[in-house]
Amino acid sequence: MWEFLASIENSAFPTWVRETSSIFGYYTVLASHTFGMAFLVGLSSVVAARALGLFPDMPLSPMQKFVPLIMVGFWVNLVSGLILISLSPKNFFTNWDFWLKMAAIVCAIVAARSLRASVFGGDPATIDKRPISASAKTSAVAMLAFWLVAVTAGRLTAYAGWVREETAVAVVVFTVVALVAHEVWVRVAAT
Amino acid sequence: MESVLRYWLLWPSVVHFLQQNSWAWPLSETLHFFGVNLLIGGVGLFDLRVMGLAKALPIRAVRKLLPWGVFGFILCVVTGLAFVTGLQANIPAHPYDVIMSDLWLQLKLVFMALAGLNLLAFYLTGMSRAVDDLGPGEDAPQLAKIIAGSSLFFWLMVIYFGRLIPDGL
Repeated sequence: MWEFLASIENSAFPTWVRETSSIFGYYTVLASHTFGMAFLVGLSSVVAARALGLFPDMPLSPMQKFVPLIMVGFWVNLVSGLILISLSPKNFFTNWDFWLKMAAIVCAIVAARSLRASVFGGDPATIDKRPISASAKTSAVAMLAFWLVAVTAGRLTAYAGWVREETAVAVVVFTVVALVAHEVWVRVAAT
Repeated sequence: MESVLRYWLLWPSVVHFLQQNSWAWPLSETLHFFGVNLLIGGVGLFDLRVMGLAKALPIRAVRKLLPWGVFGFILCVVTGLAFVTGLQANIPAHPYDVIMSDLWLQLKLVFMALAGLNLLAFYLTGMSRAVDDLGPGEDAPQLAKIIAGSSLFFWLMVIYFGRLIPDGL
């Protein structure tokens, strides 16, 4: 198994990406991964936020037009992610943080598909007329939570030791504070 | 001028905080990424609508995403300032020297400035008001589309050159 992974790591393309001084090697692959994340997570999060009742003036039906862009983000991330893994597969596969990221991505995709089926499925003429179902809202919350875990875990794969756990706690604290602040803001604005 | 910038760009208190709290640097990196997602989700989606994607969305409704994009931008600026002013917690270099020598950081700052000027053009040319009342199915003026496309391009370049910064260190 490890010999096979080492052969991938030492093959021509990963070696070029890792060792070239060209900016079109490692750093461009890394940037592509960030572009993919921005379109995949950024745009799908807006659909989830709309399903959760934010931006109620925004009709859901036209938001289907963003799905192809979200899919482009996913495929860009898959390809760039596979290239990044091929640069040092053993390091990734022996890092539990990497597996947490993978699990979170799979769960987020499952939740996103469920959300898409709930809000965009059925008769297209009724998309903006029917109420958002509880299962759609559950999928939206789950997708946002799994994206949060995936982005955090992805960032922390570059670190080792307790700093990852400490940072994860700090991210949770920040998120809770931000959500409470948003809730307070909404209530104050409503009065 | 150089001595003033050297003084303002290095904040020993930030360096000390980042050194004392090992989670602070990776937290800043993570929040920087959250900011990027909010920026593309908010400002990027607005730009796409003005450019003509999902035309059935009324602009006035899409505009409500912009505060989220601005929040994302603020997250990126605050954490980005932490990286600059607290740089010595990570590498033994003065931020002034890095800004003067790292081409990718310079390009990132240039594209941020271009994005800012582009936003100014959006308001000063009257395009902001021109798109405000666009209802479902209505097309934005050509100039507004060009400004929106430029905005998306500039922000993607900011992300691209931001990722290249470590290469220039």
